[in-house]
Amino acid sequence: MVLHTHLPYVRHPEFNDFLEEDWLYEAITETYIPLIEVFEGLVKDGVDFRVTMSLTPTLISMLSDSLLQERYLRHIGKLIELSEHEIERTRFEPEFNALSRMYFKRFKSCRDIFNQYHRNLVSAFKRFQDLGKLEIITCGATHGYFPLMDVAKSSIRAQLRAAVSQYEKVFGRPPRGIWLPECGYNPGDDQFLKEAGLKYFFTDAHGLLHGSPRPKYGVFAPVYCRSSQVACFGRDLESSKQVWSSIEGYPGDYHYREFYRDIGFDLDYEYIKPYISSDGTRINTGIKYYRITGTTGQKQPYMPELARQKAAEHAGNFLFNRQRQAEYLYEILEKKPIIVSPYDTELYGHWWFEGPMWLDFLIRKIYFDQNIIQMTNAVEYLEENPRNQVITPSMSSWGYKGYSEVWLQGTNDWAYRHLHEASWRMDELVKKFPEASGLIRRALNQALRELFLAQSSDWAFIMATGTHVSYALKRTQEHIQRFNKLYEEIKANSVEEPWLKDIEYKDNIFADIDYRIHQ
Amino acid sequence: MAKAVKKIKKVSSPGKAGTPILHPAPASSGSRLSVGKKVKSLSNKVRKVLSKVVFNRPQGHALASHSQSHKPEGGGLASHSQSQKKPITKAKTARLAVVRKAITAQEAKYFTHPENRITKTVQAVEPVRADFEKKEFPQGYDKDLIVLQVRDPWWLHTYWEVREGTWGKLKNELAKLFETAKKVLRVYDVSCINFNGSNAHRSFDIEMHQNAKSWYIDTAGPGRSWCVDVGLKLSDGRFITIARSNIVTTPLDGPSWVTDEEWMVPDELFSRLYTSSVGLGGSPVKLKQPWLELQKRAQGSGGVSSGFFSPVKKEKYKREFWLVVNTELIVYGATEPDAKVTVSGKEIALRPDGTFSLRFSLPDGKQIIPVKAVSADSLDERVITPVVAKETR
Repeated sequence: MVLHTHLPYVRHPEFNDFLEEDWLYEAITETYIPLIEVFEGLVKDGVDFRVTMSLTPTLISMLSDSLLQERYLRHIGKLIELSEHEIERTRFEPEFNALSRMYFKRFKSCRDIFNQYHRNLVSAFKRFQDLGKLEIITCGATHGYFPLMDVAKSSIRAQLRAAVSQYEKVFGRPPRGIWLPECGYNPGDDQFLKEAGLKYFFTDAHGLLHGSPRPKYGVFAPVYCRSSQVACFGRDLESSKQVWSSIEGYPGDYHYREFYRDIGFDLDYEYIKPYISSDGTRINTGIKYYRITGTTGQKQPYMPELARQKAAEHAGNFLFNRQRQAEYLYEILEKKPIIVSPYDTELYGHWWFEGPMWLDFLIRKIYFDQNIIQMTNAVEYLEENPRNQVITPSMSSWGYKGYSEVWLQGTNDWAYRHLHEASWRMDELVKKFPEASGLIRRALNQALRELFLAQSSDWAFIMATGTHVSYALKRTQEHIQRFNKLYEEIKANSVEEPWLKDIEYKDNIFADIDYRIHQ
Repeated sequence: MAKAVKKIKKVSSPGKAGTPILHPAPASSGSRLSVGKKVKSLSNKVRKVLSKVVFNRPQGHALASHSQSHKPEGGGLASHSQSQKKPITKAKTARLAVVRKAITAQEAKYFTHPENRITKTVQAVEPVRADFEKKEFPQGYDKDLIVLQVRDPWWLHTYWEVREGTWGKLKNELAKLFETAKKVLRVYDVSCINFNGSNAHRSFDIEMHQNAKSWYIDTAGPGRSWCVDVGLKLSDGRFITIARSNIVTTPLDGPSWVTDEEWMVPDELFSRLYTSSVGLGGSPVKLKQPWLELQKRAQGSGGVSSGFFSPVKKEKYKREFWLVVNTELIVYGATEPDAKVTVSGKEIALRPDGTFSLRFSLPDGKQIIPVKAVSADSLDERVITPVVAKETR
């Protein structure tokens, strides 16, 4: 079980509130805290489990940022207030009244847990890693998509170095594995992973299946990359699809909560206005009263108990299928297969409300009810099975169609000439200033921050999917412009200090970055 | 955007794969490149040919040209027809025959084979690109360069920049020939060789309009290495390279036919594993479709990237006229600011001036709402009980 946990770096101290910052607050309330609650419950009940979880450096930076922590408390405070109003408002409707009480309780508990971990949820995840249950892996510093950095390899190195250095600081030991941004692998990139001290990574199924030579065990055993000896695990499509598919997957079950009916859109404008976007745009509040019900727009009220039963049933179904899969594979492989099931963490809780509950049921069932399969992680598996085939995996990603098209199409392809040029300019600066100090050093460090932020694959992804496009354009433009201005000023030795100070304050990621990692 | 009807000239094509299909990337028109003075060296992969003009003779004889037309779609990608079947070489047939023995015909089609490449579909993408590019980013970086990137097993993307000064220089050197010269991308298949400019397995040219700055190239060649020159094709047949790209390798679109000796894999076993991975085998959860079919699914169903933005797919309801009517009830009043007020037995907070206002969702039926106020010293008490009946017809 691998959960990829990522959000792009969105932090706007220059505004009092900012729509896209809500991504983080929603993810905390709906996904991160519910997962922490699940893990806490498992530990409390003595259930042994293994989950691998990436926490991207951008997300770690945001979760550790005091401004965003402060704002989360403000955000959750408003939600608690709204749910209180809802308890009042729904007094004559017992079904909705019970649901509003459920939300009230959840939001309060979110605030409690958030405070209990001293506002920094990274320490919660660290706790489970220290207990040996969670294996936290890293990612590219700002989730730059490596296959499209092929002509700017020093940027790949820098993305990895910044990530590893942050990880060491936060978790007190180096990371052992990595989730490549967008699961994007290009043959040869494993060499950079090796340089960064990383022992394993994941590819999509075809990354392994289409590798050369053909992998003997398909995706059901890891391989070592030819030149680097870094281990590569391939994604199992069957288990992925059971959870992911919007058609056949569990999250589409009619008893589960409907994501697209939110009181932010449903209720009277004047009433809901204080809890939606400050510019008056209706947005999701997180309070949703209906279940999926069926394929029409007619929705029935959500029944938590029915949904809970379904989640238990689906966990049982998932376990049953893994058992049969493992038995079948054992028969033809004549060795124990490993089944790698990676998901976006935000699927659990944010999109699929019952996801964390399902995971809880699943882990407990695996632990208590059977002995055919066992949860493991890459490190433990490799310790037990050190001998593996040596191949070169194939270029691949887990994006639509499996390669780079999501990030390289008419809507976003124009960005690469600017991104690549910025990488080359950064190389040039590093060469020119091997030992900078003072203002120039600050400017060089900031130049690398701006480059990193521009490289986030999220911007290209957003441009491709068509929602929040103007924000993604703005971010790409801002970071490239800031980078180019810094480049010119550094070369001319005329760095404008007040302006530098301003962008250091705005784009404050990786406080102790060293520009020389970009080479 | 101009409608792109492009000519492809196959320059040299021993054992050539299907007809290359062109894919114009929209150009931003009116680009202005500044005249440069200094040339910076790029990463060693992005090689440039600058001051000297290189003359390349096309190798082999030119074959008949072949036209393909495309639907332009504003700034986005154009859809294109599927690649054609192509002849295969003897050597490959033999090698593949080894791989394919002992597996069924149905399974065999999932192995890479030039004869039965899995059909690809190209998604038409809604253009979002606006004038943004022109206004907000530098027009150029004062370089002659061309960069090549892999989009998928079949398609490459390339972008380039040629300085005004370079054009001027070429114009001077070539004089009259410059007027009739065509701006061309020459695509080289450089698989498994140390490319020196003249030893490519084959190459083909793509003519483009003057303002093009990037292009999508259908190589129809998974698992091959590629290099591209941007240059001028003169009327006397010579080709002048202005800049040469980095070399990229397209991934295979199926399992490799290479099985190393130490780990000889029985084909049957591998095919069972492979089909099991893609859901054809005896596994209980039948995916029914091979991997590439799965990849064609819409976003959100295949485990796609950036989870926060790719929802479990929103169901699209059939468009139909609709109306929603809900009712709410507002109960408001006032008393002494320090009084204690309960509504249906539950205490409520008063505003500093002693007023209060409550808002309830009002379902059908009869609601009895006793409002009770008790004075601060508990000596006085008033109860008012509105009864509200709602009926929806």
